[in-house]
Amino acid sequence: MNFKLWVKPFENLAKKDRFTISILWVAMVLAYWLITTAGEKKFFPTPLQVWQGFAALYSEGLVVHIGSSLWLCLQATVISIVVSLVIAYSYPIPLLRPLSRAMSQLRYLPLTGITFYLTILVTNARTMQVWVLVIFMSLYFITSLLAVIKDIPQEEIDHARSLKCNRWEILWEVIVKGRFDYVIDVLRQNLAITWMMLVTVESILVAAGGLGVLIKNSDKFMNHGRIFALQIVILLVGLSIDYTLNTTRKSLFRYSKFN
Amino acid sequence: MNIQYEEKDIILQVENLSISYGEKVIIRDVNFIERNVVRKEINQGQVVAVLGRSGRGKSTLFRALTGLVKPSSGKVLIPDYSQAPSNGMQPAKEVEEGDVGFVDQKYTLFRHKTIYDSLTFALRKSGEKGSEKKEKVMKYLIEWGLEKVKDQYPNELSGGQRQRVAIIEQLLSSGHYMVLDEPFSGLDIGNIQNARQSFKLIENGHDLNTIIFSTHDIELATELADSIYVMGYPRLDDGSLGTVGTIVRHFDLKALGIAWRTEFTQDHLELVKEIKSAMLAS
Ligand SMILES: Nc1ncnc2c1ncn2[C@@H]1O[C@H](COP(=O)(O)OP(=O)(O)OP(=O)(O)O)[C@@H](O)[C@H]1O
Ligand SMILES: [Mg+2]
Repeated sequence: MNFKLWVKPFENLAKKDRFTISILWVAMVLAYWLITTAGEKKFFPTPLQVWQGFAALYSEGLVVHIGSSLWLCLQATVISIVVSLVIAYSYPIPLLRPLSRAMSQLRYLPLTGITFYLTILVTNARTMQVWVLVIFMSLYFITSLLAVIKDIPQEEIDHARSLKCNRWEILWEVIVKGRFDYVIDVLRQNLAITWMMLVTVESILVAAGGLGVLIKNSDKFMNHGRIFALQIVILLVGLSIDYTLNTTRKSLFRYSKFN
Repeated sequence: MNIQYEEKDIILQVENLSISYGEKVIIRDVNFIERNVVRKEINQGQVVAVLGRSGRGKSTLFRALTGLVKPSSGKVLIPDYSQAPSNGMQPAKEVEEGDVGFVDQKYTLFRHKTIYDSLTFALRKSGEKGSEKKEKVMKYLIEWGLEKVKDQYPNELSGGQRQRVAIIEQLLSSGHYMVLDEPFSGLDIGNIQNARQSFKLIENGHDLNTIIFSTHDIELATELADSIYVMGYPRLDDGSLGTVGTIVRHFDLKALGIAWRTEFTQDHLELVKEIKSAMLAS
């Protein structure tokens, strides 16, 4: 192993070296954790405490809570995709352009302002949760989709025009079909925001359960081990959604070669 | 021995064409006429080359010729074959998008379609049956050496392969006119040979077929074209160089007796020299 290469910018290392580096980092983090939690005063809970926290969570039905969170997320995502796509795809139509622009700009509105009006409109707490998420996701989703659409080079549109596509065909071929893989990627990028907001939103309705409720409860007991375990669970579930979406995109669309 | 030919109806007329992007005028007062060339016992199409130094407005002119950009003033007229001729003349119409095939400098294709699907798509308005389309597409794929990559996407092709696909697409989709922006850049000797053959195929495929292309390869232009335009910045009255592109020279290779020769001759070389000095002066 040539360690000099490990610090050389832009160097492409062999697979073995890259693996060694990852292992090294994991080992360092673990070591740091063990050492800093060995003494009397601790900032982090010890690995044992985290494990106990995890076991307690599991016996309280962690899996059901994860399911509840995922279900909420899924409902919100499906509605939000449909709404956002319709609005984003209307961007090329001059009459509708202001609408999609305005929707994207609304993301600067504060959360509380929107929830205030929602509480007037919606009485059911579960519906409320879904719609708060839908509104937030959609605003970000629309913004990212518009960026994708605006990034389409004029040449691609001209190419379709030169093949006798009428304007609607161009919209369909170049914008809708030609960028469908980007929709999945945009979803993946923005789901992270939703996943983070989940905790806040789930506290609206404690009875419905979910990871957010679990975290809120653990907060009360000042149980560090539990909180830590939960954070790890939330992170891992989020990362696996991310991974699933990315793999789906790459396997569905062979031509989709970015990242 | 000069090759006999006759010039018939106008097939392309550019009238006082100017194009500006915003405030910036890119090309101004472009005027030219190309006529249908007729030779005995052979289908003779037209091959027009546009030369000129970088940034002089070749691509901009091409976008106007294909109807992709609206002229700021002036017009581009082509014959309207959907109407019956009156007084033996085909009525003219302003060019619209889709009338003229266009292959841009970057060989843009549909990123989400395989080569085979792209070519089938290009035939969608031909009115042919599914099996006929398939046959036609396969014939082109084989002729142009693309049958092995037919199920690949554009980002899995080399530049030369992409370009050939882009050319075939336009051959399948558009009528007699085809505009090619720098079709030879990025091709190897073999590819250029193929592209030349396809030029010949198009040129002799129909009397009305017309290829308009730009290139930085002057020798090649004198070999392939029967009419060469040089775009450049004209000299202003005070002797300085202008900043708006236009056509500064025209060489009619038919009249010069150079067109359609089978080999590169001393005459070609002389012409190349003359074109070079015209380009350098503008
Ligand atoms: N969309 C645009 N907006 C503003 N200016 C443009 C635009 N497209 C081209 N131009 C300018 O128009 C001029 C002519 O460009 P054009 O691409 O037609 O040149 P060209 O002769 O094809 O050059 P090359 O041989 O390098 O391809 C250039 O100065 C360029 O900067
Ligand atoms: Mg150009």
